[in-house]
Amino acid sequence: MPETTDVAELREKLSRAAQLLFFRHHLQPGAKAWELRRALGRDYEQILKLLDAELEKLGLMVKRVSEGEEGSESDRYFITLRGHPKLADARTFGWRVDDMAMLTVAMAHVLSKGGKAPLKEVERILQEKFPRWRVESTIDRFIRRGYLSEDDQGVLYLGWRALAEVDQRTLLGLLLGKEKSEGAEAEREEANEEEKKMEEQPDRGR
Amino acid sequence: MPKEHQELLQRIVELCDAVRKSGLDPFDVEVREFFDRLRELLPKLKTNEELYLDVQAVLGLADVIFQQGEWIKHKSSLLYLDPLLITLKLYALPARDLAEVLVRSWHPIIDLESLSLPAIREGLDYWRNLPALDERFKELGVTEVMTGEIARRELAKMGILSDEDLTALLDRTWRELKEAVGEKEFISYWKFIQGKSFEETVFRAWLVSFLVSYGYATLDINPLEEEINLKPLPKPQVLENVATFSVPIAISREEWLKRRRKHA
Repeated sequence: MPETTDVAELREKLSRAAQLLFFRHHLQPGAKAWELRRALGRDYEQILKLLDAELEKLGLMVKRVSEGEEGSESDRYFITLRGHPKLADARTFGWRVDDMAMLTVAMAHVLSKGGKAPLKEVERILQEKFPRWRVESTIDRFIRRGYLSEDDQGVLYLGWRALAEVDQRTLLGLLLGKEKSEGAEAEREEANEEEKKMEEQPDRGR
Repeated sequence: MPKEHQELLQRIVELCDAVRKSGLDPFDVEVREFFDRLRELLPKLKTNEELYLDVQAVLGLADVIFQQGEWIKHKSSLLYLDPLLITLKLYALPARDLAEVLVRSWHPIIDLESLSLPAIREGLDYWRNLPALDERFKELGVTEVMTGEIARRELAKMGILSDEDLTALLDRTWRELKEAVGEKEFISYWKFIQGKSFEETVFRAWLVSFLVSYGYATLDINPLEEEINLKPLPKPQVLENVATFSVPIAISREEWLKRRRKHA
């Protein structure tokens, strides 16, 4: 029964890949290419493709992020949402609208400056819209969570999490209104409706 | 090597460092002009130290050219959009719209936190080393001291309070600066901070740093000529759309003595 053995082995590798990517083993989530190669064998990329196909049914995907050269053994794989959440959803998992707006400003400014910008400059722009004490503490939080990174010269870059989670081209495109569509308006109305519903039913979701 | 040659080489090295580390526009560096000056300087360099500095300057300029290449690559990439346009949008859009921009380009990572063996071991060690409750709340043997009063003058003597309010002090220095400048537009930084003693000079430099930070005056720096000019503003203002940065200015006793002798 060689076929059954192959299928069983494949299923085992698939579940091992899911465990490695879903459960956090280190400070950062996901797993590095060399870890996956060691756990799943040389054909680990094929296993990840299969896992990606399975996750598609759940609205998730396997994402590869290169920090240096593409195709390196230190590339990291994550599981992310295939689509994007709604604004109301993002608020339910602990994000304030102001925080999201601040992250947009910081990332867009860094990207527009070729991938790095002095921290002071980013703080100055943010202080035009938000109180100073909130700006400093929020940037610190973004750095701790990996959305931004700062070097010893006080220069800000995009962090590992921003590289994994944010589609940079879409972010800049949306910001300039290139891809602004009726969908944005519809979603805003939808979000408002959901907020109203949540206010009417305060116990919902607890 | 004459000191000015060494200073020129060091300034080139520092400028190239600033481009790499602080995100300055690499096209602001006059690479060709610097290379011409290095070429003129090369026959006059004798010692290993001089040649080493020259190598560092050449490497720094090569790095600036590399940064220029990276800048062009970024500008020609699909990600390049006019920074000014983006800044305008960032200022114009309300917080909710900015949040929507993020949400629509966002694919959050999904992960589950789990206890690992090292974490369980760490928790166990912590629990084992935790002192018993009665040991943790043992009272410390302290003597109660009643509160008392202290005069402002005493605090000033101890250096905790200043005799003069900082705001009033800054205001006085600002007026003094405006008087010193007079009809001219600016005054040399070193001339203005020069005091009768080294301590007074450092104190005046400290006050000037506040004047500049709070928008009472601006500094105009010419790194190649090593000139620093101080320009008072008619009224305190925060300069908008102007790149600001910190400028460390070292003041040594030797330097102060030298300047004092020069102006005596």
